[in-house]
Amino acid sequence: MKNKPFPAITLLRRRSWLALVGVMIVILVAGVSCQPAPAAQPEQPAEVEEPVSAPEEEAPAEPKEPTAFRIAVGIDPDTLDPIQNTTTTVGNMAEYMVETLLFADKEGDILPQLVADWDISDDGLEYTLHLREGVTFHDGTAMDAEAIKWNLDRLLDPDLKSPARGTFNVIEDVEVVDEYTFRLHLSDTFPPLLAALAGSSNATIISPASVDQEGNSYETITQPVGTGPYIFKERVKGERIVVARNEDYWGEQPYYDEVVFRIVPEAATRESLLLAGQVDLIILPPISDLPALKQNPDVEVLLAPSILTLCSSDLTTDEVLSDVRVRQALNYAVDKQAIIDSVLFGAGQVLDAPMSPSLYGYCPQPPYEYNPEKAKQLLAEAGAENIELGFIAPTGRYVQDFQAAQAIAGFLSEVGVKASVSTMDWPSYVGAILIPPEENELDLHLLGWAPDFLDAFQQMLQFDSSQAPPNGLETSFYSNPEVDELINTARKETDSAIREDLYCQASEIIWEEAPWIFLWVQRFPIVYRSDVANVDYHPTEKFAAIYARPAK
Amino acid sequence: MSRYIAQRLLAAVLTLIGVSVIVFVLVRLAPGDPARVIAGLLAAEEDVQRIRVKMGLDQPLPVQYAMFFGRMIQGDLGTSARTREPVLGEVLDRLPATMKLALISMTMAGIVGVVGGVAAAYRRNSKLDFVISVGTLFGISMPVYWLGLMLIVLFAVRLHWLPAAGSAKATSYVMPSLTLAAFSVALVARMTRSSMLEVLGEDYVRTARAKGVREQVVVLRHALKNALIPVITVIGLQFGALLGGAVLTETVFGWPGMGRLLVDSIFARDYPMVQGIVLIFSFLFVAVNLLIDITYAYIDPRIHYD
Repeated sequence: MKNKPFPAITLLRRRSWLALVGVMIVILVAGVSCQPAPAAQPEQPAEVEEPVSAPEEEAPAEPKEPTAFRIAVGIDPDTLDPIQNTTTTVGNMAEYMVETLLFADKEGDILPQLVADWDISDDGLEYTLHLREGVTFHDGTAMDAEAIKWNLDRLLDPDLKSPARGTFNVIEDVEVVDEYTFRLHLSDTFPPLLAALAGSSNATIISPASVDQEGNSYETITQPVGTGPYIFKERVKGERIVVARNEDYWGEQPYYDEVVFRIVPEAATRESLLLAGQVDLIILPPISDLPALKQNPDVEVLLAPSILTLCSSDLTTDEVLSDVRVRQALNYAVDKQAIIDSVLFGAGQVLDAPMSPSLYGYCPQPPYEYNPEKAKQLLAEAGAENIELGFIAPTGRYVQDFQAAQAIAGFLSEVGVKASVSTMDWPSYVGAILIPPEENELDLHLLGWAPDFLDAFQQMLQFDSSQAPPNGLETSFYSNPEVDELINTARKETDSAIREDLYCQASEIIWEEAPWIFLWVQRFPIVYRSDVANVDYHPTEKFAAIYARPAK
Repeated sequence: MSRYIAQRLLAAVLTLIGVSVIVFVLVRLAPGDPARVIAGLLAAEEDVQRIRVKMGLDQPLPVQYAMFFGRMIQGDLGTSARTREPVLGEVLDRLPATMKLALISMTMAGIVGVVGGVAAAYRRNSKLDFVISVGTLFGISMPVYWLGLMLIVLFAVRLHWLPAAGSAKATSYVMPSLTLAAFSVALVARMTRSSMLEVLGEDYVRTARAKGVREQVVVLRHALKNALIPVITVIGLQFGALLGGAVLTETVFGWPGMGRLLVDSIFARDYPMVQGIVLIFSFLFVAVNLLIDITYAYIDPRIHYD
C-alpha cells in the first residue's frame, strides 16, 4: 500500500467536495472567529494570569506594572449587593470595597470603623452613633448620617431579600441627628446590636448615589460603591473580580495596587493555582492534601479557628432519643478527636460547649470523653440496646461532612447503635431537616451552625423551642422551658456580666441534656504562598488579607 | 428542500416547547424549597414566605407554567432568584465562553478525529492503527475530571507553561479544549475508522483503483465521502455531549461558562435560571442538528427530503 500524504488543496477543485469542506470551514471559522476575541483584547493586567515562569528575576524594569494580590475562592458570588448576599466568602470579598460601621476584631472586641464612637442610653433602647468625619465613598459623595439611614432602611426593607433582616428587625427607626450623628431606636433591648453591626457583612455601607449607576438599582447592586480600601474595577462572572486600591482611603493604605479574586470551584484546581504560583492565597484546598501542604516550604497553611460548630442534631421528639441517657450515650460513643485527626486531617477542634470558643457567652463544659463502655451502660439503663437510627448528612457543605458522618456511624455501631447514613444535595437536605416533628423520621442529622457575628445570640436559637421548624431551624426540636427562659432573658439583658452568666447557665443545661452529639468547631483552612506576609483570619470563616504584602 | 426545512423548524419549535414543560416540571420535582435556600439558614420564616410569594411559588403549578410560558414567548426568561438579575442577560453573559470551548472541541473532533480515523483505516493493522486505537480507547474511557486535573498538574504546576484556570489568556484555552475534546475526538476517530473500513472494501473502490485512479483520490473522494455520513451524524450529536461536558470541564478549569452557572443554579433551586439554561442548551442542540441534517443533502445527493 502506498501512503502518500493527501494534498488537501487538490480537494478544493473537486466540486463534490465543496460541501464537505464548506461544513468544516464553517465549523472552523465559527470556532476561530469566536476564539481570538479574548486573546486579542489585551486582556487586563498580564500579571493576573502570569504563569510565573520567572517572576522575581525581572525585577529591574519594575516601575509601571501594578502589583496584584491574587486570591482563589470556590464560590461565584450570587450577588455583590451587600445587604442581600448570603455567603460568608462573598461578604469576605465585598469587604474589600464596602465597610461595616464598626469593626469586630478576632476576640470579638468592638472597635471604631466608619463610626468613631457611640453612646447607649441607660434603658438600652437608643444607640447614638457618631460617624468618622470626612470619609467619602468611592464616587466622591460624603459618607454622612443621611447615607447611613438610607443604607439601614434598605437593609430593613421587607421587599428586599436580606438574610440579616431578622437580626436587625429590632431597629424601629433610624434618626438623623446631624450631619455625622445618627440614632437607632430599638423596639426592645438587644445588646448584641453593636456586634451585629460590626460582624454582619450585610450591614456594610454603600453610597446611596450609586444605585443609579450603571448596573445598579435599588433592588440589586452589582457594583458596590463603598468606602473601603479597594474600589470595584471589573467582574467577569464565573471567573474573576478585580478591585483597585482606593488612593483616597481614610485609613491605612494597603500594599497591593490590585486584588484579583479568582473564582475556581474545584478545590484541586485552586491548590494547583497556588502551587504553580498563579495565585497567592486560596481557601479550602482539598482537605486530604493538608498534610502535604504543611510539608511544602513554598506555602503556609493557616487552620483558622472559626465559629462554625458541627453537631449531629438528635431528633429529641423521637421515642428513643427523647431519653436523655441515650443522647448522652451517643456523645460518649463517638471519638471526636480521632475523626478530626483522621477524617478532617486536623481541620477541627473538639467542642467543649454548645458554641465556639470565639463567641461571646462561651463557657467551657466538662468534656464527653470517648467512653464506649459508659455509652453501652447508659444505653442499657435506658433499655435502648441494638437500636437503629436514620442519619443524614450533606455532601460538600462542610469539611468532610459525609465522610465524618460515616465515621460517626462507625463509632455508634460499636455500642450497638445501628445508624444508616445517607446524603443528599443541600437544598434537598434543608428541606428534609425542616419537616415538622410528627412526620420527621430523621433521627440524626449532621449540621453546621455559624452565627453571623461573635455573639451567642444566634447560636442559642438552636436550643430555643420557639425556633423549632417551621418557625426556625431548631432542628433538634429540643424543648426545655428553663433554657428558653434563660436564652430569652439573655437576649435582652443589657448588663454584660449577667448576660454572659445567663448563657453560661443555659450552656450547662444544654450540655447535660445533649440534644446534639457535640462534635467540633471546624477550622477554616487558608493556604498562601510563603513569599507573602501579613495574612490573617477572622473567626467568621474569613481570610484577613487586605494588608498582605511581600514577605521580604 | 425548503419544505423539509420548514417541517424541521416546526418540529424544532415543538421540541423546545416540550423541553420547556419537562424542565419546568423536573426542577420542581427536586426536593428543597428555593425560597429557603435563597433566604439563607438564618432568615425568619416570614421572610422566607415573602420570597415564596415574590417568586410566584405560592401559585398552582399550571398558573406558574402559564406565566413562565407567556413571558418566554416574549423572550423574557424571568429573573434569577439567586442573582436577582434577568436570566437572559446572565445566560448571554456566559454563553460565549461555553460556545467557544464547544466549537473549538467540535472542530478538533471534526479534523483530528476524521484524519486520525482515515489514517487508521487506511493503514489497518499497522503500528499507526494500533497507536490510534489505543489513543482513542484512552480518550473514550478517561473521566473528564481526572484528565483535566492531570493536565493541570503537568502543564501548570510542573512545567509552568499554562494557566491552571480562568479564560483570560489565549493559552487558557489549551487545557479546557483538550479535556473537553478528548472524548469526541476519540469517538469520531473510531467512527470514521470503522466506517472507512467498510467503504474501502466496496466494489466501487476496487473498480476505481483498477481503472488507475490515483490513490489519494480513491481514498478521499470515493471512500471518505461515502464514509462521512454516519460521522457527521455523530459530530452533531457530540455537540450536545460537549455542552453537557462543559459542566465538568468548566468546574475543573474555573471557566466562566454556562455549565458552571447551571450547577450553581441547580444547587440554589433557582428555577428560572435552570429553565433558561436548559432551554438555551436545547435550542442550540436542536439548531446544530438541524444544520447537520441539511448538510447530508450536500454530502450525499441520494438523500432527498420530501
